Amino acid sequence: MTQQQPSPDQATPTPGQDDVTHFGFRNVPKSQKAGQVAEVFHSVAGKYDLMNDLMSMGVHRLWKRFTIELSGVRPGHRVLDIAGGTGDLTMKFSDLVGPAGKVVLADINASMLQVGRSRLTDRGYAGNIEYVQADAEHLPFPDNSFNAVSIAFGLRNVTDKDQALRDMTRVLKPGGKLMVLEFSKPVNPLLSKAYDLYSFNALPLMGQLIAGDSGSYQYLAESIRMHPDQDTLKGMMEDAGLVNCKYHNMTGGIVALHVGIKP
Amino acid sequence: MLPGPTLLSGITAIVEGALNSALALDPAGRKALLAALPEPVQFSLTNPLAMHLTLQQAGDRVQVGSQPAERPALVLSGRPLAFIALATGDDQVFSLGRIRVTGDTGLAHQFQRALNQLDPDWEAAMAGHIGDVPAHFIGRRLRGAAHWSRQAFRSLSANLEEYIHEESRSLPGRRELEATFTEIDALSLQVERLDARLGQLEDNNPEAPNREKP
Repeated sequence: MTQQQPSPDQATPTPGQDDVTHFGFRNVPKSQKAGQVAEVFHSVAGKYDLMNDLMSMGVHRLWKRFTIELSGVRPGHRVLDIAGGTGDLTMKFSDLVGPAGKVVLADINASMLQVGRSRLTDRGYAGNIEYVQADAEHLPFPDNSFNAVSIAFGLRNVTDKDQALRDMTRVLKPGGKLMVLEFSKPVNPLLSKAYDLYSFNALPLMGQLIAGDSGSYQYLAESIRMHPDQDTLKGMMEDAGLVNCKYHNMTGGIVALHVGIKP
Repeated sequence: MLPGPTLLSGITAIVEGALNSALALDPAGRKALLAALPEPVQFSLTNPLAMHLTLQQAGDRVQVGSQPAERPALVLSGRPLAFIALATGDDQVFSLGRIRVTGDTGLAHQFQRALNQLDPDWEAAMAGHIGDVPAHFIGRRLRGAAHWSRQAFRSLSANLEEYIHEESRSLPGRRELEATFTEIDALSLQVERLDARLGQLEDNNPEAPNREKP
């Protein structure tokens, strides 16, 4: 089954269209994007972990593992896991910070937060984790609150990415580290073609079969193509006030981990 | 060329899983090892396979990483062969400088002690899969084979040493060599004392010409 792929270039908001943003390849009013993204995640929350394992063939665990390795989180640290979803990173951070530290699992979506909270509690993770329903663009935390902030596979769903990066920088302590793990642009053209074929055909089909929702996974594939590439995101992080920004391509650039330090 | 981050993470995930599974079979050893890992311990392998491995406590598990730690308490660096020698029980890699240790030396000793004390109960793990009696039977056989190997290796080493020193006389014996070294040390000490004494006598004699220091 081959699906006609709309051109992302045609859907890119033109200069002057300040009140619209992408929702996949479509343009939607900025005020509606958060609601539409919320509908996607309400729909897939129950099967989120299973779908992640199937879609990435389990490799998402290695991408997250590398993120944890680079975090430099130690006992006693305070960590904010934005768009933490079902809590994969939060679990690891909770082990690292120990009883003297604190991990805040934040997600804008109540369904995802509920699934994450149940999952973590069932696995015995309690005592050093807080759950907060929060918008990444307007984080409800004081300045200089966290040693590390992470956002894994969440930034592309944020309406105003620059504002979100500025707010994440604001809540970091000086010397703190921001880690953005996100789908990116494959560096090899052959891999890129294979990846396109896979994501525009296999993902919606898997979504339909497993989660009963192909539209959400069509959005996933489209939103990945609309997300800034490695160098653009690095520039956005520098504009947000972070220094020593760099990125690590993983699996040929399908995913990139961007890291920046608050001066 | 080193594998990318994804593959490295895969490798460390396998190592971490195996290490923690082994530690689960020795609760006391795991407790001692975790106590020696309050801060990251880093192993830096140099050429021909330049890479890092870090061990860090994460809850009641040991976390293995592939990236250099930001503030390691202890760094052991050397060639891969030196680490293999250390793993087989050769402690001389430190005195010979094949493995360089930087950081908290007290922690290094604690870490080494914890590693030496590790004694996972493999028989219990096997019993979980094949039953107590077969596991005990196989365990006894394996322990016997390991004991025989160690004894055979020691015996072979002793015989070889004896042949080289006593029969072929290719090399002087260890005690003979130690006695010679002791005599050389004593002679060297006596020469130094004599030189110091001569120097003192000349310094006390104002008419003596200036003596050139050795």
